[in-house]
Amino acid sequence: MLGTLLRRRARTFTNTIGHWTAYEWARNAAFGAAGFGLLFGLHYGFFRLLKYLSTIELIGLLLTWKLTAMLLLMTLSMVVVSSLLTALTTLFYSYDLKFLMKAPVSLRSVFLDKSLESAFFASWMIGLILIPYIAAIMRVQGLGPVYFAAFLAAFPPFLLLAASFGIGFTLLLLYLFPSSRTRDVVWVFSSLSLTVVYGLVRFAEPEKLIRPDALKVVAEYLNFLQAPTAPYLPSWWLAEALRMAAEGAWRGYAARVLGLWAAAFIVYGLLVALAGKVYFIGYSGAQEGALRKRTHGFKILPEQRILGTRSAAILLWKERTTFFRDVKHWSQILLIIGLVFVYLFSIQRLPLDSAELKSLVSFLNVGTAGFVLAALGLRFTFPAISLEGKSWWVLRSAPIDVGMIMREKLLFSAIPILSIAATLALMTNWILAADAFTSRLTLGALLTVGLAICVMGVGFGALFPNFTVENIHQIESSVGGFVYMAACLFYVGFTIAVLAAPMQMHFAERFGTGVWSSRVALYSGAGWLALNAVAMILPWTLGRRALENHE
Amino acid sequence: MIRLEGLGKTFGAYAAVSDLNLEVRPGEIFGFLGPNGAGKTTTVKMMTGLLRPTSGRVLIAGRDMAADPIAAKRAMGLVPDEPFVYPKLTGAEYLRFVGELYGVPLEGMRHRVSQLLEMFELTPWGGELLESYSHGMRQKLVLAGILLHEPKILVLDEPMVGLDPKSGRLVKDIFLKLAERGTAIFMCTHVLEIAEKLCHRIGIMIDGRMIACGTLEELRAASAAKQDGRDLESIFLSLTGGAEYSTLLKNL
Repeated sequence: MLGTLLRRRARTFTNTIGHWTAYEWARNAAFGAAGFGLLFGLHYGFFRLLKYLSTIELIGLLLTWKLTAMLLLMTLSMVVVSSLLTALTTLFYSYDLKFLMKAPVSLRSVFLDKSLESAFFASWMIGLILIPYIAAIMRVQGLGPVYFAAFLAAFPPFLLLAASFGIGFTLLLLYLFPSSRTRDVVWVFSSLSLTVVYGLVRFAEPEKLIRPDALKVVAEYLNFLQAPTAPYLPSWWLAEALRMAAEGAWRGYAARVLGLWAAAFIVYGLLVALAGKVYFIGYSGAQEGALRKRTHGFKILPEQRILGTRSAAILLWKERTTFFRDVKHWSQILLIIGLVFVYLFSIQRLPLDSAELKSLVSFLNVGTAGFVLAALGLRFTFPAISLEGKSWWVLRSAPIDVGMIMREKLLFSAIPILSIAATLALMTNWILAADAFTSRLTLGALLTVGLAICVMGVGFGALFPNFTVENIHQIESSVGGFVYMAACLFYVGFTIAVLAAPMQMHFAERFGTGVWSSRVALYSGAGWLALNAVAMILPWTLGRRALENHE
Repeated sequence: MIRLEGLGKTFGAYAAVSDLNLEVRPGEIFGFLGPNGAGKTTTVKMMTGLLRPTSGRVLIAGRDMAADPIAAKRAMGLVPDEPFVYPKLTGAEYLRFVGELYGVPLEGMRHRVSQLLEMFELTPWGGELLESYSHGMRQKLVLAGILLHEPKILVLDEPMVGLDPKSGRLVKDIFLKLAERGTAIFMCTHVLEIAEKLCHRIGIMIDGRMIACGTLEELRAASAAKQDGRDLESIFLSLTGGAEYSTLLKNL
């Protein structure tokens, strides 16, 4: 039966491709090429880093494998968190579950089908990013295609194991708390604990260990490099398997890979066995809406007091109300708050001893904070249009302009993102005691980056709307999400590039090695304006046109 | 009130609707019939601005839907074939939202909303989230939403689906009353009995083309089922060709 269920997926995929028009082929080929370019860029960055590490005498290889282990640990945690969020919607709220549940199909088959879908959506993009890294190891260490095959044999059970943790947690959560209210509360507390754990791990300052100067003796440092990174987790088994394959220790490699496959089979097998008993109880509970009376006073709304304009205010009210009533968003808000604290803590712990260096890091903060904002944009702004879902007809048939809907989405998203941008800029500048020029420049730059990321998010969201999607991760990991993220990364990179000139002149003036050139500053300002004009106007205009013509 | 001029829609090489010309007058209930895939929902989507026509134009209360969509949409209310609404709003909040979008004054909205909820027997559910509503309840709420802003034109795509008999009767009476007041109603339905009882004129569409349009008597005259007293089902089947299934039934 599982075969039939999986065949329908394969058929859906081939049918989708088979029905692409010439325009769709061209468009997807262009986006595919852009994606490939991005992966190649990542590969280049990894290659430079690993090449540098390989030149360090004695400990070069140790550093490479330590980095690999840490990267895999990060991948593992990201897939676990991602699968936590994906599993809830895929396993319990998919549109086709009503059909599957009433069909003469065993619960285990439905669970297998849905959990594999969940694992795929939770891991494919994170997994894809590891490929350029592996390719970089291969180039630096001169390893052949056999090494890549060895990686491919070891990687799937690792991802499945990581996703199984999230799927298992969700399965048990809905079984133990079928009442929607209790489930929501537990979900929020779980997210809160996840945030706390994340914070605790970060506040333990693991970076101390990879900085030789932080440790007293060389032997201590070497001990750390040779010590396992979370030895009980599959990320360490995979890291060891990859190291052994690179060293040609195939017996050790085979043992680890078999271990990974066996663990994946056992953990996932247990989940499938468990699903036969608990899946239906959770599914049945998920069908029940939370019955809780709310009274609506038909008073002037807070949004109407501020905006006045009727449609814009009511759209904003609808957005706020529906957003905050969805408990799935709360967990992400908690994670974001945790992320901001950890980010600022990391800045505070940076080993910077000169005022110049601090100002420089404050400037480079535009780039790193920009990436954080882009990730938030991908999670909250880009999906905003698609999340109207099948209720899109309500807005589309109403006497309001598509542009107004987009502006409302922008406003709803810009308020929190600009607040986070301002917090990151102001707090970082305060922690680093950056000089006045740098502080003003970075604050202005980050606020503009935040705004551009929101505008691009709504624009690209309108350019690639998907009103039939059932899972927010499907929106994020779609072609449109990928293009949006790539555009944001390029935009942030260009912002750093155009603002580097005034920053460089400022430093030169401070050190007395050069003078401020108004002409260069003017060129830089013009470049910055042009960059923002393109980043904001182009996606917005194209998106608006696409949404107006959406069929 | 509603005027469709040479309306057409193609998806690639496939013509979903071809050269559709139609006028629905104030106070008229127009039934739009046709087999599945005939192009009815595509027509409704073009009329309500959800889909851009490939050719022709739609005039709603004299406003061109393509040139002045906001004014055209303000004059119209839509009940789609599937009543998807925001799951995290309550019934009363949904009605307020729709009312505000269509410019219904806030004064009096509370009273009107409570009247509509009561009329559709949704008062006990008015404060519950829409995710807990059944299909029929959502259908009634969407109907309440369009009655709230009192449009001059109603476009209904299978409005009776999911309604219990009492609500079905109520909705039919509402349509008749609105038509008496001068509202133009365009209704797609597969329930021929409803079309027969409610509609002043009926159009039958097949393969994207309107093959017949007129009163029941005019349709009867145009069809092979010319005998007096033949019902709409016989007329519909004779016009759309539905008799061939009898041989298939034998093999069932």
